Amino acid sequence: MALRLPSKVLKHILSFIDSNEDRNSVSLVCKSWFETERKTRKRVFVGNCYAVTPAAVARRFPAMRSLTLKGKPHFADYNLVPDGWGGYACPWIESMAAKSPYLEEIRLKRMVVTDDCLERIAASFKNFKVLVLTSCEGFSTDGIAAIASTCRNLRVLELRECIVEDLGGDWLSYFPETSTSLVSLDFSCLDSEVKISDLERLVSRSPNLKSLKLNPAVTLDGLVSILRRAPQLTELGTGSFAAELKPEAFTKLSKAFSNCKQLQSLSGLWDVLPEYLPALYSVCPGLTSLNLSYATVRMPDLVELLRRCSKLQKLWVMDLIEDKGLEAVASYCKELRELRVFPSEPDLDATNIPVTEQGLVYVSKGCRKLESVLYFCVQFTNAALITIARKRPNLKCFRLCVIEPFAPDYKTNEPLDKGFKAIAEGCKDLRRLSVSGLLSDKAFKYIGKHAKKVRMLSIAFAGDSDLMLHHLLSGCESLKKLEIRDCPFGDTALLENAAKLETMRSLWMSSCFVSFGACKLLSQKMPRLNVEVIDEHPPKTRPESSPVERIYIYRTVAGPRMDTPEFVWTLHKNPEIGVSKLAIK
Amino acid sequence: MEFSNSCSSFSSSSVDSTKPSPSESSVNLSLSLTFPSTSPQREARQDWPPIKSRLRDTLKGRRGDDTSLFVKVYMEGVPIGRKLDLCAFSGYESLLENLYHMFDTLIICGKRDRKHHVLTYEDKDGDWMMVGDIPWDMFLETVRRLKITRPERY
Repeated sequence: MALRLPSKVLKHILSFIDSNEDRNSVSLVCKSWFETERKTRKRVFVGNCYAVTPAAVARRFPAMRSLTLKGKPHFADYNLVPDGWGGYACPWIESMAAKSPYLEEIRLKRMVVTDDCLERIAASFKNFKVLVLTSCEGFSTDGIAAIASTCRNLRVLELRECIVEDLGGDWLSYFPETSTSLVSLDFSCLDSEVKISDLERLVSRSPNLKSLKLNPAVTLDGLVSILRRAPQLTELGTGSFAAELKPEAFTKLSKAFSNCKQLQSLSGLWDVLPEYLPALYSVCPGLTSLNLSYATVRMPDLVELLRRCSKLQKLWVMDLIEDKGLEAVASYCKELRELRVFPSEPDLDATNIPVTEQGLVYVSKGCRKLESVLYFCVQFTNAALITIARKRPNLKCFRLCVIEPFAPDYKTNEPLDKGFKAIAEGCKDLRRLSVSGLLSDKAFKYIGKHAKKVRMLSIAFAGDSDLMLHHLLSGCESLKKLEIRDCPFGDTALLENAAKLETMRSLWMSSCFVSFGACKLLSQKMPRLNVEVIDEHPPKTRPESSPVERIYIYRTVAGPRMDTPEFVWTLHKNPEIGVSKLAIK
Repeated sequence: MEFSNSCSSFSSSSVDSTKPSPSESSVNLSLSLTFPSTSPQREARQDWPPIKSRLRDTLKGRRGDDTSLFVKVYMEGVPIGRKLDLCAFSGYESLLENLYHMFDTLIICGKRDRKHHVLTYEDKDGDWMMVGDIPWDMFLETVRRLKITRPERY
């Protein structure tokens, strides 16, 4: 007997479902569920701004209150995507301004945002509350001022690692003179000075402020003054932590911190002098998140700080912490869930190696809740990887960057195949994986077979042949994003597994051996993929066999995009006459 | 090359193919990766290791250099420019050598020449000047961006 839920009941049930993955599944059940779901979805996430048109999104989700968009491919973070590639926010803002005027939240990642865009946002959305821009560029502090002055209900304004044309600190004074509704403000990526008096006044009239991240131009004195006015902060990004060492300065700083009894997250700490670290001791026991990735402080000072952080869940630190420091973390920070260790000396010919595989092994053994790792070091061993996998089967994110390309297991001189096999097999919930070091095709056979839940995979300087790519594309059931650089193959595996690409969000390959002919063929055969060839130095004539510099392939229902720059080739833009000699089954 | 579900046909082909040893591979992929020890001067790579620009710039400052000085470099007639950290060079010679590798063409400075590309720069006052007239340190203080002019421009 078929049971039909009245739509009111279904609506009520759906109001409890927040996860978009679940909502996407709900949409597939039947037409009426699709309709009810789309009319009730408030938070919309678009992982690739070119996968769908803004109009289609606005049309499908009339109740949209929050939009999250991502633009450039992830490798843009490492300068692999030339300027001008795309990822423009404007068309989206234009469309939403016309069709979704009740939009309250916009979160953009790796997109080009202009001042016009920001002014449009300010003018179009009457109840605008949240603006988070991560790794965006193309705007100036004028645009920020527009948001500050016009959005009367603004709660969140966060500029995370953006490239902003900084025309001065005036923008701070544009917030409304009466009290603001600000809960979170992050301007840590701006360079120029802001007037401390402006900042003090803003903080004083923002009673709901919980999160504040200052830029390096704010001095220690400034910080003290701010902390006095905002002892209720739960998240703080300090400014520059360097100042002439005076006892009164230290006491003032210490006292200011000790009054911040609710502080849970600490970041910034640029140029931090070790002598000032003790001023933080009073907040350590309450800290759950500590970002020391700009703190070039030596191991003993780091340990003195970290041994007081028993509740720490997230630690980002430089490799100056050394293996010994990580051993201390393993014994003091039992709640640790996420660890990132960044290189302090990115030169390939660095001679002193502060951390080795042993550091990560200590943490894997001591921190039972560890589930996310990003680790830079110079060399690794299979044994260490096997131990890590055995001790921490609950790992969800494992990103290992052995800085030396093709570095084998330095004890046995073998490839790291066995080690990554253990990771793939043992960590059954692994969702994100980055591999490095010397890896043969075999490693990828294991990954393809066992890494069933991996959604994002990053590979550099690895593999022997097309087999590597074939293993990944024919395995890895949950694969959504694959990014590869400097691996010596492409064509055959790509063409053989073309259908897989439609099940993924995107594929990036740079400095591999993918031929122009294969790109053309793939383009012709797969109309629902956009195949982009990104060549800053294209050859004058493009022979079929010529390798291309970079390819970016993504599924889309929006068709070919119209805003490609000169250096991006697409079949739609440049249809060439002639049929490729390569054949696919 | 045919792919099949059984591994045997592939294990043989991978046995046949020589596994690249580290030095071989770095030569094969020399298009994309030149180790600092083999390149003409110590120019830090901008895309490896995979760390974000903010961290990379912070680390540069640490190394004792006078912070980094990134300027845009355009070749006349080419819309997409490059970015260069002038602090990574010891002087005009190493700058020119790097530009030669970057743009694949001989560039001269300090004199006009009908046949060659000439390097010019925009200074603090917004004026376009010939590179090479002033001492390197002074140049670093005043340079805003670089332009490589086409031959026979003057």
